[in-house]
Amino acid sequence: MTALETFSRGFEKTLELVTMLLMIALAVTVVVGVSFRWADNALEWYDEVASTLLAWLTYYGASLGALKRAHIGVPGVVAAMPPKYRFPCMLLAEACVLAFFAGLAWFGVMVMNVLEGETLVTLEYVSLSFTQSVIPIGAVLYIIAELLNLPQIWREATGRDEVLVTHS
Amino acid sequence: MTILLMLLGLFALVLINVPIAVALGVVAAAAMLIVQGPDILPNTALVMYDGATKFPLIAIPLFVFAGAIMNAGGISRRLINLASALLGFIKGGLAMVTIGASMFFAEISGSAVAGVAALGSILIPAMKDKGYSTPFATAVASSAATLAIVLPPSIPMIIYAVMAQASITQLFLAGFVPGIMGAVLMMIVSYFFARRYNFPVEEAFRLGRVWQTFKEASLALLLPVIILGGIFGGFVTATEAAGLAVVASLLIGFIYNELDWRRLQKALVSGGVQTAAVMILVAASALVGVFLTEQQVPQQLAQRITEWTNNKYLVLLLLNIFFLIIGCFLHSAAAIILVVPIVMPLVELVGIDPIHFGLIVTLNLAVGQQTPPVASVLVTACSVGKADVWQVTKVNVWFILVLLFVLVLMTYVPALPLAPVEFFYR
Repeated sequence: MTALETFSRGFEKTLELVTMLLMIALAVTVVVGVSFRWADNALEWYDEVASTLLAWLTYYGASLGALKRAHIGVPGVVAAMPPKYRFPCMLLAEACVLAFFAGLAWFGVMVMNVLEGETLVTLEYVSLSFTQSVIPIGAVLYIIAELLNLPQIWREATGRDEVLVTHS
Repeated sequence: MTILLMLLGLFALVLINVPIAVALGVVAAAAMLIVQGPDILPNTALVMYDGATKFPLIAIPLFVFAGAIMNAGGISRRLINLASALLGFIKGGLAMVTIGASMFFAEISGSAVAGVAALGSILIPAMKDKGYSTPFATAVASSAATLAIVLPPSIPMIIYAVMAQASITQLFLAGFVPGIMGAVLMMIVSYFFARRYNFPVEEAFRLGRVWQTFKEASLALLLPVIILGGIFGGFVTATEAAGLAVVASLLIGFIYNELDWRRLQKALVSGGVQTAAVMILVAASALVGVFLTEQQVPQQLAQRITEWTNNKYLVLLLLNIFFLIIGCFLHSAAAIILVVPIVMPLVELVGIDPIHFGLIVTLNLAVGQQTPPVASVLVTACSVGKADVWQVTKVNVWFILVLLFVLVLMTYVPALPLAPVEFFYR
């Protein structure tokens, strides 16, 4: 196994673990929230924490989705193209994805700086910079996932492999 | 002009296989840059974060999670046994069992893809063994699984309700009549196939066998009671019901002592990825939404169309055609997220009930799940049944016609789906 394959495997396993933990944390938060509300002792932080967990699941899960190439798209047209048209299209598509997430990471850091010192409304010891950190971190993870897939995408673009057509 | 360029840009990016969420983000950011200047761009990070924090959408990962636990805990087999005891005596019994079991599964999981993966993997090979043709076995499993998004709980309905700011509970209730009608009509179609191709009867009807399979599946059948009883009884929101479904399905899994942890782990990961794929679309659509709202685009569109006609049935016809077409090319979540916020002002202006419209959108996308090229459920069924998409589609046309018939009926006789809503909530 090459160093790149080892890294890719470790990266995937780590993201899988984070995604699983976030799914479980979300379920536990909602169940605890309902239980306390039924006991007439509603937790005021419940909505805010659950929403934050959903945002985290979105971006960490999206990075894993990028690695597994499971995002919703329309691959059929590119797959049907001959390689000489497919190559520039796939190259442009990859450039768009990388540029978008690079921008998001950059602006995410700017937002974190602006929000410094502010906290969640219901949990004053949790800073907004911390909760919002998922945007730049998630964006960077997405870029890494995309770069790890690049050799395979290259093979598909040049016609050596068939274009992956997934249906999530 | 900017809007036209945005649409063209979006179309071009999607065609070259940029993920739809990224394509939305790119065109929205480009439009913001052109119209409002570079200072606005850091807002993209804020909006993309806020867009992913919509509380009611927490129900999506939780329903997926509950479905994963149930699937890893021996529920599919029990539901199939019960359906077989109830429906297996009819000619073409296994096809009836497939439809019946899909209905049970639909009341637990809101995802048709999950349903066809769970039940199809058992029932398609079983049908093939009994002499059913591969295309028919795959087609019936695929179309029956689509009932999962019409019958509550339904993930597309949750997404619609959030995008249109409509009541999830009322939308769920409106799904019962078309869901049950669709299932009955699919059984009738299957019966005709069974007569024509001489498909066998599965088992004789015996009350003792029904009682035995009912007892075995009774805990699993508690789940829809918890989910739907909780929601319709007003005890819990859809999100909270999804959370309770997770706990209940875990408990049932422990009691049955059949939880396959490795399978559960895998399902959790794929559920997380599925959720993220939908949620990042929601977040990116928030970016487009902010821009379009500032430019008053949905309102202008509504005004233009109502200048031409304000007949709501004609508008419904146009919207049906539009959704049927995009349903062939887009994933159902993407279609809802992209289109619903733009057409809602029009829907409200011509006096269409948002719950009725939500049901119509769902039915259109149920058809879309069966119509290639982008037919998520059909493709999953074909992969499970090792069948060719086009061969299956030739048979599946009959089931698609059933779904279209239900769609037309529900569109033009709104009293049918809305009667329970009117009775309980208005």
